[in-house]
Amino acid sequence: MKRRKMLAAVGLAMAVALPLTACGSGEDNAESGPVELTVAVWSLASTPEFQTLFDAFHKANPDITIKPVDILAADYPTKVTTMLAGGDTTDVITMKTLADYVRFAGRGQLKDITSAATSTEGAKLAGLDQYKQDGDKYYALPYRQDFWVLYYNKKMFDAAKQPYPTSLTWDQYVELAKKLTTGTGDKKVYGAYQHTWRSIVQAISAAQTGGDQLAGDYKFFADQYKTALALQEAGATLDFGTAVTQKTGYASMFESGKTAMLPMGTWYIAKVLSEKKKGTTDADWAIAPMPQRPGATGVTTFGAPTAFAVNKKAKHAAAAQKFVEFASSLEGAKAITGIGVVPAYQSDEIRQQYFALPGMPTDDLSKKAFTPDKVNPEMPVSDKTAKIDTILNEEHQLIMTKQKSLDDAIKEMESRVKNEVN
Amino acid sequence: MADLLTATPATTSAAPSPRARDRRRARRNTLIGWSFILPNFLGFVVLTLVPVLAAFALSFMEWDSYNPPEWVGLDNFTRLLNDESTKIALRNTAFYALGHVPLTMLAALGLALLLNRKIAGVGFFRAAAFFPYITSMVAVAIVWNMLFNPEFGPVNQFLQFVGVDSPPGWTTSTTWAMPAVILTSVWRDMGYYMVLFLAGLQAIPVEQYEAAKVDGASTWQRFRAVTLPGLRPVTFLVLVLLTVQSFKVFDLIVVMTDGGPGRATLVLSQQIYRRGIIEGEFGYASAISLVLFLLVLVFTLVQFWFNNRQERR
Repeated sequence: MKRRKMLAAVGLAMAVALPLTACGSGEDNAESGPVELTVAVWSLASTPEFQTLFDAFHKANPDITIKPVDILAADYPTKVTTMLAGGDTTDVITMKTLADYVRFAGRGQLKDITSAATSTEGAKLAGLDQYKQDGDKYYALPYRQDFWVLYYNKKMFDAAKQPYPTSLTWDQYVELAKKLTTGTGDKKVYGAYQHTWRSIVQAISAAQTGGDQLAGDYKFFADQYKTALALQEAGATLDFGTAVTQKTGYASMFESGKTAMLPMGTWYIAKVLSEKKKGTTDADWAIAPMPQRPGATGVTTFGAPTAFAVNKKAKHAAAAQKFVEFASSLEGAKAITGIGVVPAYQSDEIRQQYFALPGMPTDDLSKKAFTPDKVNPEMPVSDKTAKIDTILNEEHQLIMTKQKSLDDAIKEMESRVKNEVN
Repeated sequence: MADLLTATPATTSAAPSPRARDRRRARRNTLIGWSFILPNFLGFVVLTLVPVLAAFALSFMEWDSYNPPEWVGLDNFTRLLNDESTKIALRNTAFYALGHVPLTMLAALGLALLLNRKIAGVGFFRAAAFFPYITSMVAVAIVWNMLFNPEFGPVNQFLQFVGVDSPPGWTTSTTWAMPAVILTSVWRDMGYYMVLFLAGLQAIPVEQYEAAKVDGASTWQRFRAVTLPGLRPVTFLVLVLLTVQSFKVFDLIVVMTDGGPGRATLVLSQQIYRRGIIEGEFGYASAISLVLFLLVLVFTLVQFWFNNRQERR
C-alpha cells in the first residue's frame, strides 16, 4: 500500500515536471504576467551592489521578480563554466572578469546584444570597448567600472607638513613616501603601501608606457620595478616578503593608519565609506590621481569593468535583456552609486551623486582623480592570458623578494613566455 | 503433444536434486552479498573508478572541458618532457619527499620511544604530540608562515638571539622555502605516526627484552636486536603511507607559499591543478597526474618488494 502511494507520488511529480521542462527553453516574447528572473551572482551577502540593483529593477518593473543564484566568489568562474556547459537556463550571468567573458562569448553561450550596446545610452558606458568581439559584436554590457587611484591619509600629510599629492611622478612618489615614513618597530608608519599583486608594478607600467603584457617583451617593466624596489630599499613601504608571509591586508594597512598612501582600485571606496560609518576606522582620507611616468600628458591608469550578459539558453530572454540594459542605464547607475560603487555609466549627474555620498571626500583633487583621462585594461584578454599571468607572477615574486636581479628576471620572463606559451 | 503436456508437470514436480539446491542457495547468497556492497560500490564506481579511468583516457587527449576531447596520442607526454615547470615540480616533489619521509619517521619514532615509558603525565604529552595532526592544515600553514617571517618572526628572532647574524628568509627565499615547508609538515605529521609506532612498540613481547637483559645486552643492543625488528611491520606501513602522502602534498604548500617564491616550492599536484583547473588543459593535467600515479606506484612496489625480501631472510 505504502509503495503504491509512493509510486503514485513519483508519477505525479514527473507528470508535473515534464511539461515544465518542455516549455523551459521556449520563446517568451508573448510572455505576460509575472516573471521570475534568475541571475547568477557571487557572494550576495558581501557584495551589496547586486541586491541594490535587483530592488531598483523590481521597483521599475513590478511584474518581474529576481531570484539570485548565489555562488561563492572564489568558485564563480568554475561554477558558471560548468553550468553553461550543462545547458543551464539561468537568465542573466554576471561577467566577473573579462577573461571569463571572452571564453563564454567565444563559445557562443551568450546572447548577442549589440543593438543595446551601440545605442546612444551605450556610448556613455566606460569600458564598453573591451566587450567588443569579432570586430563589432557585443554579448555583455558593463554596469561598473573600477580603475586605480591613489588613496591618501590627510592627517599624516598634515603632520609631515607635505602638500597633498596633486600630480606626482613615480620618483616624486618615492621621495614623498620616504618623507612620510616615521617611527620604528611596532610604531613604524610607512609612507606608502604597495600591495603584493603584480598589477601594482606590471599593469600600471603597461598602462602608462603602452607596453603589452602578452607580447613577450618585458623591458618596459624595468622603470616601474626600479621604483618599487627603491621604495622597499628605503624602508618606505612594508617589505614584500613580510607582506606575503603575514598575508597583510591593504585595507587594514590604510584603515589603521599604518600607511600614508595606498595605490588601489576604486572598489575600495565603498568599503572605506562603510567602515567609517561603522566607526571601525577614523582615517581622514581622500583620493588623488595615480602617479605618472615623467613627461606624461594627462592621467593614465588601469582598470577593469564588470558586466551582465544574457544566457543564450535563458528561460526569459526578453526580461533578462531588460535587466541587463537597466543595470547599465542611468537608473541602474544611480542605484549602485548610492552605495559607493563606481558605475560604468558616466555623466555629470552620476559624478555629483557620487561625491554627495556621506563621508565621501569632496575636494577638487578627489574629483580630478575620479575622472582619469585614460583607463587601460589591467591585462589584455586572450587564450594565453592565464599562462602568462602565472609566469609573470612567479618572476614578480623573485624580483620583489630579491631572489633574482631585475635584468635576469626580465630575461627569464621573456624566455619563459617564448618557450612555455604556445 | 499430449505426452509432452503430461510429461512436463512430472519433471518439474520431482524433488530438486541436492546439487541444484546448493547452487540456488549459493546464487541467493551471492545476490544478497552484492546487494550489501552495491550502494557503496555504486558510489565508488561513479565517484572514483569512472573519473580515474576518464583521467587515464584524457591523458591521451586534448580537452578544455567544453569542446569535445580530441585524440592527440602521446603529445601530452612529450610536452611534459619539455615543460620546464613540470620538471621543476617533479624535482621539488622529490626534494620534499626526501626530506619529509625520513625526518617524520625519525621524529615519530623518537617521540614514540620517549612516550612509551611510565612517566607522569604521559597521556598529556601524547595528546600534545598528536594535537598538530588534528589541527586544520590551513591554520597550521598560516601560523608557521608567521613564525618564519624573516623580519618579525620568532624563528629568526631566536636565531639572532643565539648569534646567527643573517638568518635565512625562509618562505621568501628560494633556498630556504622548501626546508621551511618540510619542517612544518614534519611537525604536523609526527604525532600521527607516533601513535602507529606506539602501537607497534606495545606489541613487542616484554619477555624478549627481559631475555636480552639476562644475556647482558646494552640499551642500544636491545634497541637494535629487539625493538627495530619488532617494529618492522609498523615501520613498513609508515614508510608506505608517508611516501604516498609526500608525493600528494598540496594544501600545505598552497597556503604557505603557493609554490613560490618563483617556482621554488611548486609541486606536482599543484602543477596538475594549475594546468587543469586554472589554464583549462585537462588532457595535459591528466597526463601529469598519470605520471604522478606511476611514480607512487613504482615507489610502493619497490618498498613491498624490499620488505618481502627482508622478511624472508
